[in-house]
Amino acid sequence: MTQLVETAPLAASCPVVTPTGVVELLLAADAGVAGGGHDRLMQSEAISQRTADQTLSVVPPVAPRLSEAVVSCRALTKRYGDLAAVNEVTFSLERGTVTGYLGPNGAGKTTTLRLLLGLAEPTAGDALVFERRYGELEQPFHYVGAVLESNDFHPARSGRDHLRMLAVAAGLPLSRVEEMLELVDLRDAAKRRVRAYSLGMRQRLGLAAALLGDPQLLILDEPANEADPSGVRWLRTFLQTLAAEGRTVLISSHRLAQVAQTVDQVLIIDHGRLLARGPLDELTTNGQSLEDVYLELTAGEAS
Amino acid sequence: MIGQLRSELLKQRPTETTLYLFLAMFGLVALVITMNVLGVGADDLAASAQQLQDFEAGSRAGMLFAGLAGAIAITAEIRYGTIRPTFLVTPRRGPVIAAKLAISALVGIVFGLLAEGLMAADASVALSARGIDNQLTGGDYLQLLAGGAAAAALWAVAGVGVGALVRNQVGALIGLCAWMFLVESTSESFVPDFGRLLPGGAGIALAGNSDALPAAVGALLLILYAAAAAAAGWRAALRRDIA
Repeated sequence: MTQLVETAPLAASCPVVTPTGVVELLLAADAGVAGGGHDRLMQSEAISQRTADQTLSVVPPVAPRLSEAVVSCRALTKRYGDLAAVNEVTFSLERGTVTGYLGPNGAGKTTTLRLLLGLAEPTAGDALVFERRYGELEQPFHYVGAVLESNDFHPARSGRDHLRMLAVAAGLPLSRVEEMLELVDLRDAAKRRVRAYSLGMRQRLGLAAALLGDPQLLILDEPANEADPSGVRWLRTFLQTLAAEGRTVLISSHRLAQVAQTVDQVLIIDHGRLLARGPLDELTTNGQSLEDVYLELTAGEAS
Repeated sequence: MIGQLRSELLKQRPTETTLYLFLAMFGLVALVITMNVLGVGADDLAASAQQLQDFEAGSRAGMLFAGLAGAIAITAEIRYGTIRPTFLVTPRRGPVIAAKLAISALVGIVFGLLAEGLMAADASVALSARGIDNQLTGGDYLQLLAGGAAAAALWAVAGVGVGALVRNQVGALIGLCAWMFLVESTSESFVPDFGRLLPGGAGIALAGNSDALPAAVGALLLILYAAAAAAAGWRAALRRDIA
């Protein structure tokens, strides 16, 4: 985590990396997304009501063995006809790391994540989380939380009902829903239908859903693609908090600037093939930027 | 499994979809029954068998809208993407589909009861307005309600299966409507021996609107149709990749 902070200069401007601090940042960030001064006023009241001992880890976390790889792909391949969307991809992620999964649109990032989450079946190879296939995990929501699309909500359902239907299916107490609403500061909007939510609110609702089971691994697909700068910063701080708690984060993106400040290692994929992996500072030697490395690699692959 | 059932119940609640389906069904039943009773010659309407047959639109509407509700239970999740978080929470998809089948069957029972109830009320008002005696007995009403509810429940189960197979919401709903309004009604008119064996015709026999087929045979046929559709949809939902 210390390494992460070093590679993320903006963290210095957010010295309080506690969950409460995150929520405060979230509020500042969302003022630009969801509304003006009135929202801000209501949100400050919300802060003052918040208790100091509020933390993310309300549900007892499942403690995986320290030695086990949190994510491991072994010669992972997914073919659609002749097209290999993911081609013999091999990597593993250790506990507590924040990893950027980078590549152009259509490179195979989302497909890899869907394979890891059991939403799609590999053609060959293994996609494992906590050394098991996702579908073999008992109560997977305690291990893995994921947000694949920023808008996976029924527009006529309220934010609270969205979380409730998931919590109930998971066998989690409804109080957990209220805690998550509080954590992402959607309590005041919880009764409203999602169709009235701003983009930033939807992003936070998605995160709340992913965090319901207090997972050890968080997987986010293009999380801040459409977010405005304040939303991007909020997310970055939020992820750093989660990593500081020892959680593992895998975040796919094609927005390099955003990722460079957030992650401590990267995987670069294009045309289904993994082109590079390693800590950010090892990839960007010789004064190269991440962008230089990325463009060099992905251009070489395309020609 | 209890969790998945409760989750499916919750999913039924907050959207207006079910309400709109009820309203559309009410409108359809009221229109068709009223037109039938007012349009058919008084002599033809005097016999109880004829009355029952003219009221079959109530049973058909209950079945069709139950089927639509069943199809929506799964296609709405695909359409709005909630299928992803749903399957992330319950990655062994069987319990999710089983819960959808069970809750949709319950919703189908409600659709069936409401459709038959409205039909009976509307028919008795329209008949008395024309001064024709209502020939339906308590037993007829009992079969309409119980058989109609069972038929609608089975159609709802089949609807979940069709929805899981087709996946596209508009396609599934249009397909079910086209089946009932085009395939079934055309067959009923031109090839009645074949039409009465189709899912709608079997449901009509089960609800007692027609004596062309024994109710038990209708029930058996409809169970087979519903089981086949549910099994095909189940298989598709468990094997197919989620986008």
